[in-house]
Amino acid sequence: MKEFLMLIREDANYDELSAEEMQACIEKHYRWVEELREKGQFKEAQPLEAGGAHIRGKQRIVSDGPFLEGKECVSGYYILLAESLEEAIEIAKGNPDLDWDRAVEVREIMPMED
Amino acid sequence: MDTSGQLAAHFFREHSGRMVASLARVYGMEHLDTILDAVQDTFETALTHWRYHGPPEHPRAWLSRVARNKLINALKRTSRYSHVDEMEIQLQGVSATDPDPVLTDEESTDGQIQLLVACCHPALGERDRILITLHILCGFGIPELANALQMKTEAVKKALQRSKARLRQKALKLGRQALTDAARQSTTVCMILYLLFNEGYKATRDTKGIDSDLCYEALRLARLLRSVAPPQAEVDALLALMFFGVARFPARLAAYDDWIPLEAQNRSLWDRKLIAEGFHYLDQARQSGCAGKYYLEALIASHHCAAPHFEATDWKAIHQLYQLLESLEPASTLIRLNRIIAKSYALGPLPVIAELETIAADENPGTAFLLAATKGHVYERAGNTARALTAYEDALSLAQNPLDSQLIRKRMQTLKD
Repeated sequence: MKEFLMLIREDANYDELSAEEMQACIEKHYRWVEELREKGQFKEAQPLEAGGAHIRGKQRIVSDGPFLEGKECVSGYYILLAESLEEAIEIAKGNPDLDWDRAVEVREIMPMED
Repeated sequence: MDTSGQLAAHFFREHSGRMVASLARVYGMEHLDTILDAVQDTFETALTHWRYHGPPEHPRAWLSRVARNKLINALKRTSRYSHVDEMEIQLQGVSATDPDPVLTDEESTDGQIQLLVACCHPALGERDRILITLHILCGFGIPELANALQMKTEAVKKALQRSKARLRQKALKLGRQALTDAARQSTTVCMILYLLFNEGYKATRDTKGIDSDLCYEALRLARLLRSVAPPQAEVDALLALMFFGVARFPARLAAYDDWIPLEAQNRSLWDRKLIAEGFHYLDQARQSGCAGKYYLEALIASHHCAAPHFEATDWKAIHQLYQLLESLEPASTLIRLNRIIAKSYALGPLPVIAELETIAADENPGTAFLLAATKGHVYERAGNTARALTAYEDALSLAQNPLDSQLIRKRMQTLKD
């Protein structure tokens, strides 16, 4: 079993979402994660704070980060368990975030070579 | 939250009204905008966290706590530019006496009623009152409102701003006094809830037919109102009417979003439990001697609900009730039309034709359609196919939504076959 990092990218602006939609979004995620757990495809997931810092180069230049430049930023991550990238992609396609037009990125976490 | 990690249906929507109400009561209506922002912000925070971890063990307490903290922070931020000390003292005073942000059910109900009365304030236009009530008490967002009431987003935004400014201007105080006002103003609140319910029921929506969300919200608020509003007769009658209405929802639409007229409905789909609730409230209203519009309409609905099949409907009684209703509202074309329809079932189609021909449609496009459709149906039943088809043609050109057109086309097809 390999581990995959799934990043959620979105423009975290929920102004237009109604209370009802936000509840629906939470419930869909909850059910989806439950399903993944049952199939043994879920390891962990965490949301990320919107703010943060970007630190660059030898000068250690600290800025507000890439968050403000692009519209989309990483809002959270999942660690998925799958046999192959193809399988991980299939799992990722089930992420309800996509129904709200967000984007996900799936990357295999490289295991240490023996 | 139950063990499956699921939230109660419409939990956010209902809790949104609850939170706004309790915050407005403690911190004052003058901060309504800030309160609404804090509540919206709280749901966004919940969305961010709960999406990953599922809802917390006590979602209600979580939301209340977060909303209160957000509001206090926002108020502190703005007060830096005005009267800092005063505000600080006020806030400290509040947190000292009210350490538990979760209100009891009773307190939260009181708060919502007070807010409901404020939202139904006669200083606002009817539509504005419906909008602001749905927005503040039911957590409907702007796109949701625009969709539910068939308005442009910009128009909804403007209406809400206008209403909020009005509410601020009135500097409404929420408190014990407001609760007494609620009892006094229950008539105007009832009217708004009645309109809200009809808005959901009358099916101006594109294809959906019934917007049951609006109806259920109206029902929920009417139940809230009932808990504080003596004299209750009017509220009871309204509740009876609403229950008889929602009980028949499942039978009104076919699987493929097709209107089913009363005579063709599968009555076993009517929800008997809801009908029983309707009869319960009707009885309550009767005992307190209610005789108003809602009571008469509820009685009519009760006759439909009590009839085991269409042919067993007591049309004579319904006809009489419509006559009473017409004497209460002589200007209503809709009531007059319904009275004529009832009469045509009580006495046959021929005796109503002459009167039907004298009616002119009012400016409401819905009545024009209903008038033409009724003419078609009466002529059809009287065996006058040519006139029936002409009337149905008229109806088709006046139809307000695809479901209505579909129903008329079907009737025309049957006539031609």
